[in-house]
Parts: sequence; C-alpha cells; structure tokens
Amino acid sequence: MCCNSGVIIPITDLCFSFFPTRPDPHPNIISFPASVSFRVRPGVPHGPVKSILNDTVQFSSEPPSFYDLLGIPETGNLLEIKQAYKQLARKYHPDVSPPDQVEEYTKRFIQVQEAYETLSDPRRRALYDRDLAKGIHFAFSARRRIGLEFDEQMEDKNEWKSRWESQLSHLKKRSMYKDSGDNMSWGARMRRQRNESS
Amino acid sequence: MAVPEISIGRNLPRSPYLLAPKFKYGGRNQFCVKASASSSDHENGKMVIRKEKESWTLDFSGENLATPLLDTINFPVHMKNLSSKDLEQLAAELRAEIVYVVSKTGGHLSSSLGVVELTVALHHVFNTPDDKIIWDVGHQTYGHKILTGRRSKMHTIRKTSGLAGFPKRDESVYDAFGAGHSSTSISAGLGMAVARDLLGKNNNVISVIGDGAMTAGQAYEAMNNAGFLDANLIVILNDNKQVSLPTATLDGPATPVGALSGALSKLQASPKFRQLREAAKSITKQIGPQAHEVAAKFDEYTRGMLSGSGSTFFEELGLYYIGPVDGHNINDLVTIFEKVKEMPAPGPVLIHIVTEKGKGYPPAEAAADRMHGVVKYDPKTGKQNKPKPSTLAYTQYFAESLIKEAEMDNKVVAIHAAMGGGTGLNYFQKRFPDRCFDVGIAEQHAVTFAAGLATEGLKPFCAIYSSFLQRGYDQVVHDVDLQKLPVRFAMDRAGLVGADGPTHCGAFDVTYMACLPNMVVMAPSDEAELMHMVATAAAIDDRPSCFRFPRGNGVGAVLPSNNKGTPLEIGKGRILREGNRVALLGYGAIVQQCLGAAEMLKSHNILPTIADARFCKPLDADLIRRLAKEHEILITVEEGSIGGFGSHVSHFLSLNGILDGPLKLRSMMLPDRYIDHGAPQDQIEEAGLSSRHICATVLSLLGRPKEALTLQRETDLLPPTD
Repeated sequence: MCCNSGVIIPITDLCFSFFPTRPDPHPNIISFPASVSFRVRPGVPHGPVKSILNDTVQFSSEPPSFYDLLGIPETGNLLEIKQAYKQLARKYHPDVSPPDQVEEYTKRFIQVQEAYETLSDPRRRALYDRDLAKGIHFAFSARRRIGLEFDEQMEDKNEWKSRWESQLSHLKKRSMYKDSGDNMSWGARMRRQRNESS
Repeated sequence: MAVPEISIGRNLPRSPYLLAPKFKYGGRNQFCVKASASSSDHENGKMVIRKEKESWTLDFSGENLATPLLDTINFPVHMKNLSSKDLEQLAAELRAEIVYVVSKTGGHLSSSLGVVELTVALHHVFNTPDDKIIWDVGHQTYGHKILTGRRSKMHTIRKTSGLAGFPKRDESVYDAFGAGHSSTSISAGLGMAVARDLLGKNNNVISVIGDGAMTAGQAYEAMNNAGFLDANLIVILNDNKQVSLPTATLDGPATPVGALSGALSKLQASPKFRQLREAAKSITKQIGPQAHEVAAKFDEYTRGMLSGSGSTFFEELGLYYIGPVDGHNINDLVTIFEKVKEMPAPGPVLIHIVTEKGKGYPPAEAAADRMHGVVKYDPKTGKQNKPKPSTLAYTQYFAESLIKEAEMDNKVVAIHAAMGGGTGLNYFQKRFPDRCFDVGIAEQHAVTFAAGLATEGLKPFCAIYSSFLQRGYDQVVHDVDLQKLPVRFAMDRAGLVGADGPTHCGAFDVTYMACLPNMVVMAPSDEAELMHMVATAAAIDDRPSCFRFPRGNGVGAVLPSNNKGTPLEIGKGRILREGNRVALLGYGAIVQQCLGAAEMLKSHNILPTIADARFCKPLDADLIRRLAKEHEILITVEEGSIGGFGSHVSHFLSLNGILDGPLKLRSMMLPDRYIDHGAPQDQIEEAGLSSRHICATVLSLLGRPKEALTLQRETDLLPPTD
C-alpha cells in the first residue's frame, strides 16, 4: 500500500477535486515532450502543481486524461484505442527513443501502457469514465489495481476498515443532533417523547 | 470471567481457566487450545481446534469434538465477558460444532457456517432476548440455536418432535420471529421497533437479511417504510453473492441473478477515496464544530463520493449505510455493533457485511452448491451418504418431461424464483439456457412475467413451490386467471414436506387454485401421470392450468416412452380398481395411500373401488355420479386443506341432489392445524391420512368400528430400526 496518511490538501486546491467539473479534454499543455503533472499522487507531498519531468515548471489546470494521452476522443472505440496505443508505443519505447530523452520517453511509455490497459478493458474503462465525469483524477498507480480480482482482496479489506470507521464517526455526529426540534419523522418524535418522560 | 463448568458424564476435562494456559497472547506462534493439561486429546480421538498464525484450522480426524470454551456457554449472557481472543476461539469451536452436528443429522450447513462470526458478535454485544434478533429465512440459525440454550438438543434438529430447522417462537424466547419464507425480517423488525417506541421501551432490534432475500420486493417495501418512519433499527445485509439455490448451474458456480448483485459488488470494489476523506476531515475542522448546517450540507455532497457508488441507493431509501465490512472478522463486527448500539438516535442503519457461504469448511467452500442442504455426511471429507433409491424424485420426472415438451415446441419456456435446484429447472437451463428464467426470489414478478410471456403466444411454465406460490397469489388471480392467460403452474412440494415443516408445507394450493373460475386444476397420482399432465398443460392453450406433485420419489410406475407424455382428456379421471360397496376417490399422490388401504382391507374381506380423480377442476362428473350410484360409501381423499377437492366433490353432489339419497359421503383431508416438521411417514400419521387411517375410516363406516380400532401401524409390527 503506497498511501500516505495525513495528506493535507490546502483549501486552494479544493476546487479541483471535489465539485464535479468537466475536465478540459484538450489542455494545451500537452505537447511532446510533455510536462505532465499529477494530481493527488500518493506518496508525494504537494503544493502548487508542478511538472516532474524536464525540470521546467509549468502549470496545467487539469492533468491529462487517458484519452488525451492516447490522442483519441472519449467516444473512441476499441479499434481506435488499439491503433493509438500501437502508434505511441512504437514512438516511446525505450529502445527506440532518442538517447537524451530516454527517461522521459519511458515514463511516457508507461503512462500510455496504463491508459491502454484501462481503456481496453470495458469494465475498467467504465469505472474510469465515471471518475472522469466526477472530476476526480487519480494518479495512474492508484487506479491500476481496480478490476484485478486477485489483488483486490487485501487492499480492499484495509480500505473497507477505514471507510466504515469514517462512516461510523459520521453517523455518531449525525445522531447527536438528529432528534433536534425540527426533525418531524415519526421515529424522532417518539424518541423525544421517550426522552422527555424518562 | 465465565464460570468454569464441569460436565458430568462427558469425560471432558475442566475449563482451561483453571489451568495455566501455555499460549502467548498476541503471539504469532502456533499453539494448541488444550482442553486439559495432558496432551491426550489427539490420542483420545478428539477433534482439535488449533490456531495457526492468523487463522484457525479445524481438524476433523477425530471422533469426538473438543470445545472447551463453547462448553461454558449455555446462554448468550455467558458470552458477555469474553475477550476478543476468546470470541475468535468461540467462533472456531462453534463452526466445528455445526459441522459436526449437521454431519449427523443432515440439514442446512453452509449458511450457518457463513454467519458464525456474525452470530457470536451479535450475542456478545446485544442482550437477547430483550434485544431482538430477527433472522431472515432462518436456515442459518444453527449457530444461534447452539448459543441460546439448545445445544444439547441439536441432534434432534428437523426430526419429529425435535428442534425446528428454522426459528420458531414457540421453541425459544430467543427466536424473535418465525421464518422460512424469505425477505420478512426487515418488515418484522420494523414492526418490533415501532412497538418498542410506542411502548416506551429501549431495546435494540436487529434484522439479518441476505443478499438473496434482498431480491424480493418485500425487503424494499420494508426499507421504504423504515426510512420514512425513522425508527431505530439495525439491518444487517449479509452479502455472500448467493442468490439462487444453488447459485450454480449443473456445470459449476454461476453469477448471482439480478442487477442488485452487481451493485453490491461495486460497493465492495473500493477506489481509493482516502485522500478525499482526509481532505474532508480537515475542511470540517477548519469550518469549526459549530457550523452543523454547513457540515451537514458538505457531508451530503461528499457522501456519495465517500462511500462509493451504490450506497446512495440505500441512503435514498432512508437507511444509513455502513460498509462493506469483513463479515468474518469478529473484532470489526463487535466494534461496529458497539458503536451503533451506544448512539442515541441513529435511525435505521444498514450494515453491509461480506461473508462466504460455507466458510471454514473446505468441502463446502469447494462445492458448487456450497453444501447448502445436505444429508448425513462424513465430517472429514464432506462426502454425503446419499441413499440410492430405485426411482427418481418427482422433481426430476417433471424436469425431464418438460425438456421433452420444449424439444417438440420451441414456445415452451420455464420460469422459477431462485430455486433452480429444487424445481429441477437447472436441467432445463442446461438444455435450453435461453428459455429458462431465474427471476430471483420474486414470485409475484415471476407470475406476472409469465403472464406477459403468455400474451405474446409463448407457453410459460412457472415452477414454484406450492407454499411459495402463496406469495404470488394476487398475481395468479388478477393477472393470469382474470385475463384467462395460458400460464402453466407446476407446484412442487405439494402436501406435507417432512423435515422443513409447516413453513414449506403445500397444504393450501388445491383450495386456492380450484376456486378460480378459469383455472384447470390437476394432480398426478404417480410419475407417469405427472408426465402426461405436463403434456396436457402444454396443450391447454386457452386458459391457465396447474398441477401439483409432492416431495419424494416416484412409485415405480411404467413411464411413457422417451419420457414424452400424452395429453389427457380434460375432466376425465380413471378407475384403478373395481370393487363394490365402498369407493375411494383420491386426488393426487395420496392415491398410493388408498391403494395401500385396499391391501389392508383385503384381510377384512372388503374390496373397495379405487379411483384417481386426476382433475379437481373441471370435475369428472360422470365418474363421480357413477361412483355415487354404484356404492354405498364414497370417501374422497386429498393431501390438502379444507376447501379443496373434497369440498368441490361435496358441492357437486349436493347441487345434483345426490346427497338427498342413501349415499354416505366422507371427505378426508389435512386437519385444521399445522403439522410440525418430522419424518414424512410420521407427518402422514399425524395428519390422519395414512393407509391405516383410510382403512379405519372404511371399517367404521361399514359398521365395524372395533376392527378399525385394532388396526395397528405397520411400523409397530416391525422390529425397531435405526
């Protein structure tokens, strides 16, 4: 598990992650050699968005989606995905990349690989599309394991525990003020009656 | 600490608490839970429960079971002071006990195994019987029964005069609600919660429901109401991805039917929302604890995202969703239950736990049907001792003949409600996968769905157990019969059903089907007749029809060639044996008992006429008139309640003036009470419909009551067997 606990996202960055916004499908930042920035990358403390490659600092408002990486529209079918992948793979494979850009090209290759893996599997693609619609971009590695049955088990269980713990604390908070005066449900009325009489 | 108990006469050593335990708390080393200081357990042939590393392994190679901790638990109150390590040990011992007990008695195995941890956690945290635990369906309550004072009687489970196989209010105060049909637990729980509130009491109400039972409409009706009323109620959704019985085809496991199962799966596949959650926490911190409204709004927005897709489904119904939770981790379960219990006003809460059916017993985990319902088996290997009868079950003959009909006519389709194994339609499904529909536990939908198929010219066969069809009765009346749609109902498990008891007993189907104006109602007396009736039903295309057949095996009748029946003439019965003075008119498989009675009457020099009515609607008027004219005594026999075949015959006779004459008419039917579970022969005796009873009725009507009283039960004359 490569998650950080206690990651703090400054409020200014909130607008990216929480409210569903349509990501700009073609940010004009993406030009090769690209500077790619990652949102919410696990293990990396972040401040303002910066690129990690090329030592050039560039700002992008949205990280590229898988569709952007492959250069296909979001409605692309499997054939288009395959073609795009083959093309880019041939371009960015470490063995054929120009020597001074090996590292960057390799990173690019890995991203393209991941994009292809996700988009070519209909189930994973569906999950990815859904996240995209919500405006949440996960770092590639965070999403990588979803859909692979055999890996899910242990990871999921740890995830489950933290999930229900937070659900419980939320329920507790809620149940404190649930029976306040303006809750007119039958159950709330009966509970108030009972508390008054006891 | 639990009081150490010494069981007299069981040769058990004392409680481990008297001895210095040799294991380390929290250690990962392998250690044995020893029942005594001596290590003679294994040599004594006892089954030992060992903890290796993180998981408990059960060793079934011994003859007897060593359950030191479970021996100290007679009632849930004894579980209150157990530590979490003790609880895990208790769960392991309970699991072993269930495997051991069911291996000797038969019954439902894997459902109980899957909820062992849940049972232990519930009884540890909650105070039954004041707190009410309602188990849906109830076949998973073997562990619950063991922990609530019935352990010593578990060897009688499902037997005559023994424990019931399902929760029963008469049996114990810890069984809060009787179950057997599914999806009733939330409704009942809500009723109990509302009553508690009206009476000003303060206990907890917990409903345990499975994902299979969740496919029934009643569960939604209940959740809808619960959300609206907002009474404190805990619903535990036990999700093991098993909907149908079995959730498998003949060739192996299958995915559960229904869209709900997919939705529940998505809840389990959790994307990593951790960072979001952390961010949410920090934001609420920054806003400050006073701003409840803002926090509430914020929570509302992020709720959907925090909990993943799909939990909003339960949220929309008004239930607070917690989960998914590992249903085999006792510590997690105990934590959650304790937290929810101490909250003042949680409202209705749904805790989604994920379990595995048959967990902890490898043969069950490996089997395609998960060893849901078993006969006696060997605990070590899981191999069942299934007897090999000479004839097949009626269910099988039904499936075979339906397949034949479907081969001839491609309009024949089959529908069942999550009972592919029980109705035999798994065979149909294998042969015609696109023409067999499993709708989940939804009988009402199944009937109307069949009606819809019939309007388009298809020939739907609805195979639903007689007692389960009760659930879809309005649909039968309103959607099928009123519109005269040709839906065929194959009602299996008609009459008394043995070990499952009154919840599964098909006593009422003759009554409720034969009173419908457009319905053709038939019943075969043996398996060959069953095949002919399947063909007859397939041929009836202008009105609905139904036929009922019992649980059990055929009698060895000569089957039609190639398993293909020929349609019978509608409204015509047959005479099996000619006789004089006395006529026995049987309806359905009870005709076999009539034949048995005829054998017994031979020794009394009486030769009754035996007739098989075949049809209850329309009645064979000629046959009945003839029997009434030529005999002094007419006895109708059926394995159904009042209002069925006997009523129709007597009504017919009275309308035609025949009852004004010298005829003596008697109707034998099931008594006006529920017959408890037990062996089939015992139940028939209890109901008064065995050959002996029929024989006695004849004798008393002939004016020979003394001979009637001295008739002895066949089995009384034989030497006792096991």
